Amino acid sequence: MTGEQILQYSILADIFFMGVLVSVAIRHLYLHFKHKNDPIEVAKPHEKPQGAHLPPAVRERMIEKSEAEFESVLNKSAEQLQHDLQITTGQLNKKLERLGSEIIGTEMRRYHLDIEKLRETTETAMTGAQSQISQHQEDLKTKMAKRQEELEAQMVENVKAEQEVMIKNIDTKLADAVISFLTETMQHDIDLGSQSKYLISMLNEHKDELKKGVADEA
Amino acid sequence: MKLNLPSVISSGQDLGGLVLELREYSRWLNHYNILKKVSSSVSEEPPAMSPALKDLLRENKKESENIEELINTLDKLKDDAPTITVTLAAPATKDIKRILNDWLRKNIASNILVNYQFNATLLGGMVVRAGSHIFDWSYRRQILAGRDKFPEVLRNV
Repeated sequence: MTGEQILQYSILADIFFMGVLVSVAIRHLYLHFKHKNDPIEVAKPHEKPQGAHLPPAVRERMIEKSEAEFESVLNKSAEQLQHDLQITTGQLNKKLERLGSEIIGTEMRRYHLDIEKLRETTETAMTGAQSQISQHQEDLKTKMAKRQEELEAQMVENVKAEQEVMIKNIDTKLADAVISFLTETMQHDIDLGSQSKYLISMLNEHKDELKKGVADEA
Repeated sequence: MKLNLPSVISSGQDLGGLVLELREYSRWLNHYNILKKVSSSVSEEPPAMSPALKDLLRENKKESENIEELINTLDKLKDDAPTITVTLAAPATKDIKRILNDWLRKNIASNILVNYQFNATLLGGMVVRAGSHIFDWSYRRQILAGRDKFPEVLRNV
């Protein structure tokens, strides 16, 4: 049995005793005022009271004593009740304070746990996001490097092709210039006599083709 | 009738000239014979003959006895003989014509006719056209064929 349960049982017992005392006091007050104010009892006493044969002074003194004792008991009970109530109130306050502290502590712990979980989740998410960002950056770097290599290779190829085209154009122009020069310089004073051997050698070399050409014409 | 064409006769145009000359000679000969029958003293000179005609008559003495038949043979030869066209870098000289005609009639066809043309841009060599066949053995073609080697040769200079 924990202290808390003991405290609860003691509070319940106090409340029970206070209830008993309150009910006894109320009943006593009720009977007292009922006998005193009842007109029937005052007008028609069907039987004599017990102390009817007592002298009035004694009876008066007894009544006063009884009232004083009753008041004393009542006061004592009220004081006891008040004392108990104070104790109960104090204990209740302590209990409430402790419960409040526990609840606040529990809630704070839960809050801290939630915060911690949230922080861990956030950290995990952040770590994941950072990982993804790093991965994405790596991918981008790889792609950029690859693309850069492709562009460089393409540029080199383009430059090479352009260079080849330009060289070819220059060669063509050069060849044209040389041929024009030769044509212009060699077409004057042509000596056919010196070419007769070459002409005959060409005819001998292509004799069969020439024969075929003449035969086709025929 | 089979004729031996002299080397100085190249083309159909030459044959046409010979035919005209022979016809002229034939007319003169007929006229001469008539006059000779009428009068015993005929002093008219025969028309002048070109060296080509002389060569032709000299190389074909037997065939020359019948002039009309010779004329017909030449006409037929002009129309039917195989013909080629040779383009040289300069106007063909007699020597070149003779050399080429001799070779062609010896190696290709004995009655072949050759038309000569010239084109200075050939620079040398010749272009032979036989029907639809063209054989370009000119210096110009050789230079153009080797134009790709010029830059390399110049770079090596």
